[in-house]
Amino acid sequence: MAECVKVCTENFGKGAQDIEVYKKLGGYANISERLFNMSQFELIDYVQRSNLRGRGGAGFPTGMKWSFVPRGTGKPVYIVVNADEGEGGTFKDHFLMLEDPHRLIEGLIIAAWALGSRAAYIYCRGEFLPCIESLNKALNQAYAAGYLGENICGTKFCFDIFVHRGAGAYICGEETALINSLEGQKGQPRLKPPFPAVSGAWKSPTCVNNVETIMALPWILQHDPSEYAKMGTPRAGGTKVFCISGDVKNPGVYEAPLGTPMMTMINEYAGGVVGGKLKAVLPGGSSCAPLTAEEAAVATMDYECLASMKTMFGSGAMIVINDTHNMVDLLNVLGNFYSHESCGQCTPCREGTGLLHRILNLIVDGKGHDGDVELMQSLTGGFGGVTICPLSVSLGGPVASYSTKFRADFDEYIAKNPDHAKPRVQETYRPGIFW
Amino acid sequence: MSNFYNMPKLPTENSPKVEIFVDDKAVMVPGDTNLLEALKAVGIETPHVCYHPYLPVSGNCRQCLVEQEGPRGRMLVIACYTPVAPGMKIYTPASSARVKNARKATQEFMLVNHPLDCPICDKAGECTLQENYMEAGQNEGRMRPEYGKNYHGNPAHQFIDSKGQVRGGKHVDIGPRILLDEERCVQCDRCVRFMRTIAKDEQLQLAGRADHTYISTFPGEKLDHEYDLCVTDVCPTGAMTAKYFRFQKRVWLLSHTPTISMDDSLGANIWLDHADGRIYRMMPRCNPEVNRSWISNTTRLAFQTFGENRLPAMGLKVIKEAMGEGKVAIVAGGASTIEDLAAIKLLKETLGDKAEIFGGTFKKVGSPDGIAMSGDPMANRAGFKLMGIADDNLADLVKRASEFNVLLTVNADLFGEDAAAAKGLEKIATRIALSAFDDETAKKSTLAFGIKHWSEVQGTMVNCNNLLQKLNAAPTCPDAELRPAYEVISELAGKPFTSAFEAFKKAGEYASVLAGLAYDSIKSTGKLLEGGNA
Repeated sequence: MAECVKVCTENFGKGAQDIEVYKKLGGYANISERLFNMSQFELIDYVQRSNLRGRGGAGFPTGMKWSFVPRGTGKPVYIVVNADEGEGGTFKDHFLMLEDPHRLIEGLIIAAWALGSRAAYIYCRGEFLPCIESLNKALNQAYAAGYLGENICGTKFCFDIFVHRGAGAYICGEETALINSLEGQKGQPRLKPPFPAVSGAWKSPTCVNNVETIMALPWILQHDPSEYAKMGTPRAGGTKVFCISGDVKNPGVYEAPLGTPMMTMINEYAGGVVGGKLKAVLPGGSSCAPLTAEEAAVATMDYECLASMKTMFGSGAMIVINDTHNMVDLLNVLGNFYSHESCGQCTPCREGTGLLHRILNLIVDGKGHDGDVELMQSLTGGFGGVTICPLSVSLGGPVASYSTKFRADFDEYIAKNPDHAKPRVQETYRPGIFW
Repeated sequence: MSNFYNMPKLPTENSPKVEIFVDDKAVMVPGDTNLLEALKAVGIETPHVCYHPYLPVSGNCRQCLVEQEGPRGRMLVIACYTPVAPGMKIYTPASSARVKNARKATQEFMLVNHPLDCPICDKAGECTLQENYMEAGQNEGRMRPEYGKNYHGNPAHQFIDSKGQVRGGKHVDIGPRILLDEERCVQCDRCVRFMRTIAKDEQLQLAGRADHTYISTFPGEKLDHEYDLCVTDVCPTGAMTAKYFRFQKRVWLLSHTPTISMDDSLGANIWLDHADGRIYRMMPRCNPEVNRSWISNTTRLAFQTFGENRLPAMGLKVIKEAMGEGKVAIVAGGASTIEDLAAIKLLKETLGDKAEIFGGTFKKVGSPDGIAMSGDPMANRAGFKLMGIADDNLADLVKRASEFNVLLTVNADLFGEDAAAAKGLEKIATRIALSAFDDETAKKSTLAFGIKHWSEVQGTMVNCNNLLQKLNAAPTCPDAELRPAYEVISELAGKPFTSAFEAFKKAGEYASVLAGLAYDSIKSTGKLLEGGNA
């Protein structure tokens, strides 16, 4: 494994939770004359040149997102950090905030200067209690050291950061649902447009960024943007924090440049597949389509390659699955998760995810019939692009791809039902006491 | 929940017309509205569940999908939240199989957890789901009993039925006037949005999430509001049902008469739904300028007493004899139509100096609530002014009571409204009441004469916004002998009107703005009068 530059995970295990240690490691060096002499447009241009793309899952270019935030509307601009890490298999933000909270604060000050923002909210998943503790401790230290609050470092720049504890709903990772939740309403995605960049939290321009995106900023500012861009692929610069879990020897958080081959990640970083042969890899969290072993052998971990393989890079959460597992069991777990986490707004998602889960349950219980898989595939056809947010597709996509790529697993389960070839009985309701 | 501040923009007569392409055909549609309304304007109905023209758009039913040509190819969008833009290209099921299938799929999902208990559902016959099914669904049922239905209701209400299925929440008493069926609810959010943005009293909420979302009041609270029965109108399914109408009548057996409520000077537009010669319910009739889609509970529930306690008809000769040669005070009540007022004016002309017309009410005049009530119980006050009849001189009448020999009240329950204030009128020796009901005034009078109620007559009224509106007669009069007030009064005057329109023509002689108008020229949404007094 080639030694790579560490952008976000540099301070891991060095006790950087303490501000003194963090400063000794070169922290807060960006909060200087150089930053405050840069204009907003220079800074946004700087980030644009670094080719940094959002690390939350969608991969939207960060600099471009910032440039959409309107100026001079008379309303405050809010920065919201999306630390509501809910996607199955993703645990990078948890470690990033736990190990290096000051880097997030430093990144936020840079983002605030770029956007002319006065306040930022870190919307943190409610279960991440150690994270929240670590963040709050770091915030107190930063306030005491004068990096936050009124007149930062003797300038006229004022900036506050608040940590908001979410209640742990998966859907609050969607930016408009997150904003609703932040405002104190039910965490349900909003209709778009207006997009949050124009009208977000409290109807003000709001920029929602992932933790990792913000944490990449201090490094980018310290170095030349071209140096960051050089590390990745032509369309997405830099390194990415991968969380590798599943049947590997050393599951964990690893930082590697974008475009690293998938097998390098599995074999060299995570120590190889254990317990059997490689069967499938989920490259970007639980909601993406799986890659078979053959596909994984040629895949590289970046946005374009994975999109071309009809899956997605997502949050970089690789879940490695060996051949001792039946994919239907995994899909049933996903069905349980997504049918429970649907916010209940759009009809296809609200009713459809629950129905898919009930059908999956039947199959797993050995009560499957021929035609159930075709029914599921047909039902997922009603999900695509018709709902407010993509949660329905997060289950619909896997159902469609698991059942195409690993059809044998489904047939194995359905064969457990001795009557599987008979059609299901349509119950007819006969006239009863009401008629 | 989402974007609760987004009221849909509705097209008006003055909307600029823009050209869009529907199924590759160029059509001119109103340009300042959403696609759903624009398509409706050119006669293309889009099935929808959660969208309501007078509620904020929530866009959660996903039933109104259409395809729009965009920079990234043809995308499915919801018609209710897509603004019309000039030159946009739209594809409806008429040309796009994708839209047809998407709507079908949504329809199928909508019915996954919906109990198909239409035979015992009060909404059957006017249910949005049924209508959409005929339009967008009609698919072969693919659900099987093993797949099961998910119980979506308050966990406290659930039980296991004889087939082992989790059921419950069939008749949840959520308020004094409304029952909730949690199984039938499709979580369209309409009632929640109505209470939040129209009633401005957030008493309902969606609790839970995913397919166990259910409608609920806040713990320990009841749904109780002056407009709460409107949630039964906006409910697309039979989830919210009004207790007064539950199991009373199948809706397809009802006939509908469009008329105006004479309870209030806003003149809320209503449908009288009747069958077997009685009124079963009163429903709001959409009029964007007056009450939109709302009516208050007071207005709505008033019909329950329309058939009771009625006065019988009498021969006119008795009245003529009773009136004699003395001085007559004619009091017109607020529910008198323009036709009644014309007849009263005619009677005054005939009697000359012997008669004097008074008008008004002893009830207190409130303030408008901004929804569907103006607070003024004198419904036709603007009509009184238009006809040159005093609308507020009852105090004067009480003061001068001793000057008169005869008191003739028309639709005016003076003693019922304020017995103390009306006490002075007892000084008048002969008191004749022309009234639909055997009310306090009829009881106190020396001669009580039954006439038709406003729900049973044809006529016109002018509301507080100076809008001339048309009343139609519902065939619900309990007694065939009863006659409208204008007929009775004009006969007293010796020049009987044979029809309401004849009376209306006469009214044109007293009020020039009404001259030359025909009933047909008054639209169902009313006619704004120019130069009226109000």
